[in-house]
Amino acid sequence: MSESKQKILIVDDERLNINVLHDLLKNDYKTMAAISGKQALKAAESANPPDLILLDIMMPEMDGYEVCRTLKLNDKTKDIPIIFVTAMGQTSDETKGLEYGAVDYLTKPISGPIVHARVKAHLELKQQRDELKSAYNLIEAQKMRMEDELLVGRDIQMSMVPQVFPPFPDRKEFGLHAKLHPAREVGGDFYDYFLIDNDHLCLSIGDVSGKGVPAALFMAVTRTLLKARASEDLSTASIITRVNDELNRDNKKFMFVTLFTAVFEISTGKLTYTNAGHNPSIIRRNNGETILLDAFHGPVAAALPELAYKEDVVFLNKGDMLFIYTDGLTDARNSDKEFYTQDRLEGLLAAEGADDAEIVVEKVFSEIIQFEGTAEQFDDITLMALHYEVDAASFHVDRFEVSVTNQLAEIRTVNNLFNEFIERNQLTTELRRQFNLIIDELLNNIISYAYKDDDDHEIEISCHLIPGKLTMTISDDGIPFNPFIGQPPELSDSLEDRAIGGLGIHLVKNLLDKTSYQRKVGRNIVSLVKNVDNLKTNGEKI
Amino acid sequence: MNIETRDENDIKIIYLIGEMDTSTSPQVLSELDALRNSGVKKMLLNLEKLDFISSAGLRVLLATAQQLKASGGDLRVCQLNKEIKEVFDISGFSTLLMVFDNEAKGILGM
Repeated sequence: MSESKQKILIVDDERLNINVLHDLLKNDYKTMAAISGKQALKAAESANPPDLILLDIMMPEMDGYEVCRTLKLNDKTKDIPIIFVTAMGQTSDETKGLEYGAVDYLTKPISGPIVHARVKAHLELKQQRDELKSAYNLIEAQKMRMEDELLVGRDIQMSMVPQVFPPFPDRKEFGLHAKLHPAREVGGDFYDYFLIDNDHLCLSIGDVSGKGVPAALFMAVTRTLLKARASEDLSTASIITRVNDELNRDNKKFMFVTLFTAVFEISTGKLTYTNAGHNPSIIRRNNGETILLDAFHGPVAAALPELAYKEDVVFLNKGDMLFIYTDGLTDARNSDKEFYTQDRLEGLLAAEGADDAEIVVEKVFSEIIQFEGTAEQFDDITLMALHYEVDAASFHVDRFEVSVTNQLAEIRTVNNLFNEFIERNQLTTELRRQFNLIIDELLNNIISYAYKDDDDHEIEISCHLIPGKLTMTISDDGIPFNPFIGQPPELSDSLEDRAIGGLGIHLVKNLLDKTSYQRKVGRNIVSLVKNVDNLKTNGEKI
Repeated sequence: MNIETRDENDIKIIYLIGEMDTSTSPQVLSELDALRNSGVKKMLLNLEKLDFISSAGLRVLLATAQQLKASGGDLRVCQLNKEIKEVFDISGFSTLLMVFDNEAKGILGM
């Protein structure tokens, strides 16, 4: 309540009447007087308006009804409560006064307590109304601010997801399409895709808890971390494990994100994926069969640090499609409050004989929108499809794996196995000689330098021939050592000064198209890739 | 790994046959050392039948070349096949050692 007294305007052409009311109210209120309708209007519209008006009806020139009507038409004065005070005491007059917008009616002769009671009641009512109104204004302003913020968040969200399709027009091996349809308010979906290298495509889809700018920024951070990690790692378990740790590091707002991240090996169709608290994805085989990837590899990311996420592997064949999405799709509701559901989605995917990622995405999306009908969309709807178009069967593909102990004589064992492998896959002598050298260098390094004890150790070698590539992985449990980070030898030295170290690795790196190293669960893992032409040519030697 | 030799005046022509890798290179080194110790100063290595050479083998060639040069001798190589040539190019041995297309050119001026 305000410290200053509330103000009451008394309007009457009889000074005597004014005085009576003034005497009655002066102790509790500040009063002001007007002796004509005109004066009353002027006082009401002044910079210092009354909180309540006691208005006489019978006045010359402009009567009380007219004053009341005029005040109620003016935005500035329409909320001032008016109580008619008059000698006429007939019901029809009361009705007329109330119709004009007065709040109450007092008849002369007036009674002091009644005037007090009515004035007090109406002033309190007005005060409550005023408070309500300012609260309402505050809420409206707040709501607008929030809507603005949501819009900003939405802008960040939409500017972050790649939207140029087809994303990789040069890549005939696969088709990719995605769509994010934002809900009006709630929603923190995102997706991303990028080529890690020439043979690996990384796909991610996620749903951030929360909304607005904080959610959008969290999304941006998640996306950046995923990209950074994926660029040096083809294991989604390892990618998500590390992203989760980094998201946990400074997560003051306790946000989290569901993630489905996959690394797709384009040449072989090998799909490595990790599901962190996200809804299952679906593979639609070329024959219409659908497979639900319903394994969970860990909880939502950013919720708990130092978790080891897992991963699974599945192979896509020519014509198969991977369909990933957020739960906004299966949780979409129609006007009967029914969910769209995963069953409906699987049914639709099985029935659609589509061999184009964009067509499938648009088909599913329009189906959802049709299903929702007039019902409001509550959550973002995001969907992505990857269609695989390589026939891996037209290539020589083969593999061998061998485990040897750390004896130099075992190098010959591995090379002999490799030579058989070359033979049966009709690969070139040149390739055989290059890899004999590479195997010799790398195994010699491991056997001669990796172990600090005299125990036996297993060295695992696996060799894969995939479309267009020969890959080899060598893994050992020796001391952590990345062979590929040393300085290359100084090749321009003269014969006399020429140092001896570093040459083997230099040869290995130069004979291959790609080399990489990682330390994983106590083992050094060296991965080698050599581009080869292993397309089958009617059984002829390549 | 096999090593065959023949003499051309004071030049020892040496045929390295097989694979010069981690396990065979020590054997090659000891045989070349034996030749040096018996007074051979000029060596021409014919690599036509060398299947592949790893850095262990390159080290043997380098060590032998350095020792021969220090004692006023010479080491040359000839008849590199495609893969050996590639390794020589990558490792810089093509410029480090005197490389010739064939024995006749290698012997000239030695």
